[in-house]
Amino acid sequence: MIQKKICMIGASGVGKTSLISKFVHSMFSDKYLTTVGVKIDKKTVAVDGAEVMLMIWDLEGDDDYQRLQTSYLRGSSGYLLVADGTRQITLDQAIEIQGRVTAAIGPVPFLLALNKADLVSQWEIDQSRVDDLTARGWKSFKTSAKEGAGVEEAFVELSRQMIQPP
Amino acid sequence: MQRAARDPTEEFEELRRLLLSREREQLRDLKDRLSDKERRSQDIASVLPEAVKMSRERGEQLSNALRPAVEGSIVDSIEKRPEIFVEALHPIIGPIVRKSVAESLRRLLQSFNQSLEHTFSWRGLKWRWEAVRTGRSFAEVVMLRSLVYRVEQLFLIHRETSLSLLHVTSDPTVSKDSDMVAGMLSAIQDFARDSFATGEDSALEEFRVGELQVWIVPGRHAYLAAVIRGNPPRELRPALEETIDTVHVLKGTALAAFAGDASVFESLRPELELALRAQYAETKKEGKSTRAWIVILLIAALATAWLILALRNQSRWKDFLHRLKEQPGLVVTEARKGWFGQSEVRGLRDASAPDPAGIAREAKLNPDRIDFQWNDYLALDSASVKRRFEQRFSVPDQTRVAINHGVLEITGSVPYEWLDRVRREATLIPGIKSVAETEASIVYDPELARKRFEAQFGLLDTVNAVVANGVLTLTGEASHRWLVRARAAATTLPGITSLNDRVIDLDQRAFDQSKSIIESAFVYFLTDKDDIATEGFAALSRLPDEIRRCEKSAKQIGLDVTLEIQGYADAIGTETRNADLRQRRANKVRDFLVSCGFEPAHLKPLGVEQPFTPVPGDKATPEQAQRRAAFKVVTQPATPAP
Ligand SMILES: Nc1nc2c(ncn2[C@@H]2O[C@H](COP(=O)(O)OP(=O)(O)OP(=O)(O)O)[C@@H](O)[C@H]2O)c(=O)[nH]1
Ligand SMILES: [Mg+2]
Repeated sequence: MIQKKICMIGASGVGKTSLISKFVHSMFSDKYLTTVGVKIDKKTVAVDGAEVMLMIWDLEGDDDYQRLQTSYLRGSSGYLLVADGTRQITLDQAIEIQGRVTAAIGPVPFLLALNKADLVSQWEIDQSRVDDLTARGWKSFKTSAKEGAGVEEAFVELSRQMIQPP
Repeated sequence: MQRAARDPTEEFEELRRLLLSREREQLRDLKDRLSDKERRSQDIASVLPEAVKMSRERGEQLSNALRPAVEGSIVDSIEKRPEIFVEALHPIIGPIVRKSVAESLRRLLQSFNQSLEHTFSWRGLKWRWEAVRTGRSFAEVVMLRSLVYRVEQLFLIHRETSLSLLHVTSDPTVSKDSDMVAGMLSAIQDFARDSFATGEDSALEEFRVGELQVWIVPGRHAYLAAVIRGNPPRELRPALEETIDTVHVLKGTALAAFAGDASVFESLRPELELALRAQYAETKKEGKSTRAWIVILLIAALATAWLILALRNQSRWKDFLHRLKEQPGLVVTEARKGWFGQSEVRGLRDASAPDPAGIAREAKLNPDRIDFQWNDYLALDSASVKRRFEQRFSVPDQTRVAINHGVLEITGSVPYEWLDRVRREATLIPGIKSVAETEASIVYDPELARKRFEAQFGLLDTVNAVVANGVLTLTGEASHRWLVRARAAATTLPGITSLNDRVIDLDQRAFDQSKSIIESAFVYFLTDKDDIATEGFAALSRLPDEIRRCEKSAKQIGLDVTLEIQGYADAIGTETRNADLRQRRANKVRDFLVSCGFEPAHLKPLGVEQPFTPVPGDKATPEQAQRRAAFKVVTQPATPAP
């Protein structure tokens, strides 16, 4: 079976840990326990009939992206760039971080996850901004770690991109 | 010009020859080279090595092109002539296998020693208590307490991706998620490196988690993480470094190109398992070893003893069965040896056959442990028939018997009485059809022969019988009848060949007596008369009784008696008168006897002419003696009574 390392990257509190928890354990908690350092989980996904074992590294989110610890990124075949849909700023941070990640480990497949899609009333992010990014070739998903929408799809899509021959 | 007259084609040809003769030569040479197979091969051979080298430098193309052909020919070769590969690989595989086997054995003996040590010692008891207290298994406690160190798990981790390539463990029950561990180990290292800014080259070498240590042994593309319990010696690190080097030598390319598929590294498992070393505390090394050896020797001795016993038992059992089969009258149809319980023997047994339990005892087996089940049958082989005969007729010492096709052959000296019984009864025994005794010399017991005589003839008080050397000697006296029978039949009795008869015939004697009394009696007559003189009456009165006695005893000895009555007369007077007188006198006596009841037919009165010859000592005077009647007993064989 193919193994792939992926990272969850994004500002703090955007729901990286929650997304993994939903994806791997089908669980969600409203309680916020910030991640310190790194935590690793794994999950096997089926992509177009092939099985891929994802080693999912959950990195500590840091709003000060200057401090991004690139050493954890090394060896990643892809990453999930997570932003909190209810906080416009987290998208800006995500874009900033994406540039630093590319600089550190080169161009690898990634997806943008616009999380907390269930909180429709508090949604801040303009669709126009998202469309801009799509135009730049970014692929984005609206996800909800609470209700599960788009979570599985995001991980499967990332896996598909990673195993596609370049 | 003369030249202009020449054919232009020819001239052109000429020109070509002049200008291009060298090139044409070379061209021909080239053509030769191309068409001549041998030369072409030589050319290619000279450039091939260089060409291969260059091709490899450029990329994998040549390898890829050659792979199918090379692989195919190797597979083909292995299939057809595996011995070539076996020989070629043997120097490599042989030592590896040997090393691995030796290592396994060493570990086995070591752990065996250990267990023994702990089973019997005070410390062992303490550990047992600890096992009870902590809920661990005893083996675990022993292992933990006596362990110096043990490499419990080895992770081969890809450096770049932090993915686990291979995980081996000394305890198969411990199967932690190696992928996660690999990830976290990498994260820890990253963290350490980042936190202390030590740089890419310096790496975390080891860290401690409770009783465990984790050693990181780096390699170019992958590193080893060894989880070690206890206190490993420094020498362990070079050993692990050797392992990671080996991994890179064997799988360097695959490691460099790793893209998530770890299955190609599965073949490294034996390599890594060799690195799962352990060392146990070895106090009193000698003693432990000795104890283990003693136990091993003890077990071996017991096993040997058991084996010897089993073999001995087996051979006894075989011997027993052999004896049974040898035994006439026993037919074993089924025999089963019970190693621990009852053995079993089934078959047929003739009544004459010996007791199988006795045979078991002879074979040194306990008959109580053998379950015999015999069905009766009649054995007709010579030995069984002979035994049956011997059981019925105890054979005398000097006598030999044999059975030959149903014929009982008797030889040697044989007592008559025994033989007699055998003659009568032997053929009643199943398997004996007839008796042959012509070779036997029969022996008679004199006393038994005498008894036989007695039984046959009835022993009289008056007769004494003795048998010696086949001669029956009879003494005493007996009735005529008895004597006649005995004489006639004695020698027909077995054991009596001749008769020595010295018995007095009582009847004969009585007859002789009566006869002589009668024949010496006289009846006197008066002169010239047929009247009986007075003296004559005395004799006459006794006569009838005597005649009766005589007739009776004559009858006993088989004679009929006629009494001749002889009448005499003296010389005085005329002859005519005297003749008449003689007759009358005889008649006179006859008449008297008839009147006494005698049969006239048995009385024969006669006148006797010549003078009577006096008996010496007769008191009568000569004259008187002539006037008398005398008697003569005449016998003739008795006519058998109707
Ligand atoms: N309603 C809603 N809440 C969410 C969702 N995802 C995360 N949250 C909440 O957001 C808070 C932060 O979530 P985390 O998953 O811990 O965020 P994080 O990105 O891991 O944060 P750091 O580890 O500090 O970087 C938690 O209280 C979650 O319950 C979502 O999809 N919907
Ligand atoms: Mg988190």
